Amino acid sequence: MVRRSGVLLKKVAAGISSRLAEILVCPLTKQPLRMCDKTNSLISDSIGVSYPIVDGIPRLVPSDGIILHSDQDLNSSDPPQTNSS
Amino acid sequence: MAALQFAFPSTAGSRRRPESRSTTRPARCTADRQALFNRIAPVYDNLNDLLSLGMHRVWKRMAVSWNEVREGDTAVDVCCGSGDLAFLLSEKVGISGKVIALDFSKEQLQIAATRQSAQSKACYKNIEWIEGDAADLPFPRSSFDAATIGYGLRNIVDRRKAMEEMYKVLKPGSKVSILDFNKSTSSLNSFSSSISCFFQDWMIDYIVVPIASGYTLADEYQYLKSSIKKYLTGKELEQLAREVGFSEAKFYEIGAGLMGNLVATR
Repeated sequence: MVRRSGVLLKKVAAGISSRLAEILVCPLTKQPLRMCDKTNSLISDSIGVSYPIVDGIPRLVPSDGIILHSDQDLNSSDPPQTNSS
Repeated sequence: MAALQFAFPSTAGSRRRPESRSTTRPARCTADRQALFNRIAPVYDNLNDLLSLGMHRVWKRMAVSWNEVREGDTAVDVCCGSGDLAFLLSEKVGISGKVIALDFSKEQLQIAATRQSAQSKACYKNIEWIEGDAADLPFPRSSFDAATIGYGLRNIVDRRKAMEEMYKVLKPGSKVSILDFNKSTSSLNSFSSSISCFFQDWMIDYIVVPIASGYTLADEYQYLKSSIKKYLTGKELEQLAREVGFSEAKFYEIGAGLMGNLVATR
C-alpha cells in the first residue's frame, strides 16, 4: 500500500511554472493558454474556458473546464492593471 | 512458470471456474474507466508487482528502450498512472531533459506526485504531471522527442483518436512505444497463440481476480479480461498506426507472449 505522507500531499494550492504553461494548450482548440495567478487556472481565451490547477497539477480534461460566462468572469481572471489618470 | 504457483491462492485446486459476480456495470465509457482507475489507485503499484512477480518493471524498461529516448529530450508518457514509465523516461532524459506525464485519474496522479516528492534523484524533478485525456491531448503539434503509453491504450474508448493525437504531438522521426497485454490471434493454425490465450484467461480468472478480491477489487480486475478481448491484436495495432500516419509500425511480443509492445515512428 502506498503510504501517503500528509506532509508530501499537503501542498499549498500551487501554480505551475511559466515554462510548463507555455508548453500546454487548450485540449479542445489546441490554442495557447493564459496563466492566471489570481484564480490559479489556465484560461483558454478562444472559447472562454478556465482549467483549474489543483496541488500544482493542471486539470486539462475537457470536462474539467469551467465556462466563463460573462465579461465579469473574464475580467476577474485578468491580471490586475494599474490605471493612470 | 512454476514460480507463479507460489502466488496461487490456497483456495484453488478443486475450485470451479469463478463466475462473474459483478455488481457494477461494465466500464464502457471514459467516465467509468476514470472512476475504476481512481478506485484501484491505492493498491495499483503493489498489485502490479504481485501479479506480475515484478516482471512489469522489466517490460517497462524494454518499452522505454524501444522509443530511443536520449539525454536532453522532451518526452511524454500518456496514461502515466502512478508514474512508473515517467520515472524511467526521466532517468533517460536526465536533468537537461523534460518529461510530461499525463493521466485522467486524479488519484493516480496524486500517488505519482507523492512518489516524486519521496525520491531523491535530481532528474525526477523534471517530471510534470498533467491531468488530461489521451484523446484530447493538451500539447501543440511536434512537441516531443519520444513517447510511451503503458497499459493505457487498451483502456481508451476512442483508440484511433488517441493514436491520431499521439502522432500529432510527436516530432517527425520520433517514436512512441506502446506497451500492453498481448491479444493473441487464436486460431487452429496457431497452436502457440491458443496456448497464450488460454493461459492469459486462466491467469486472470484464477490468480488476478482472486488476489484482487482480497483488496475488494475483484470487479475492477475482472474488467481486465474483457478489455484484453476487446483490444487489438499486434497486426491490428500496426495497421492502426499506419492508418493514422506513422511511417513505421512494428509489434513485438514479450513476456512469453503475454505482453506486447508496439513501436511506431512518426
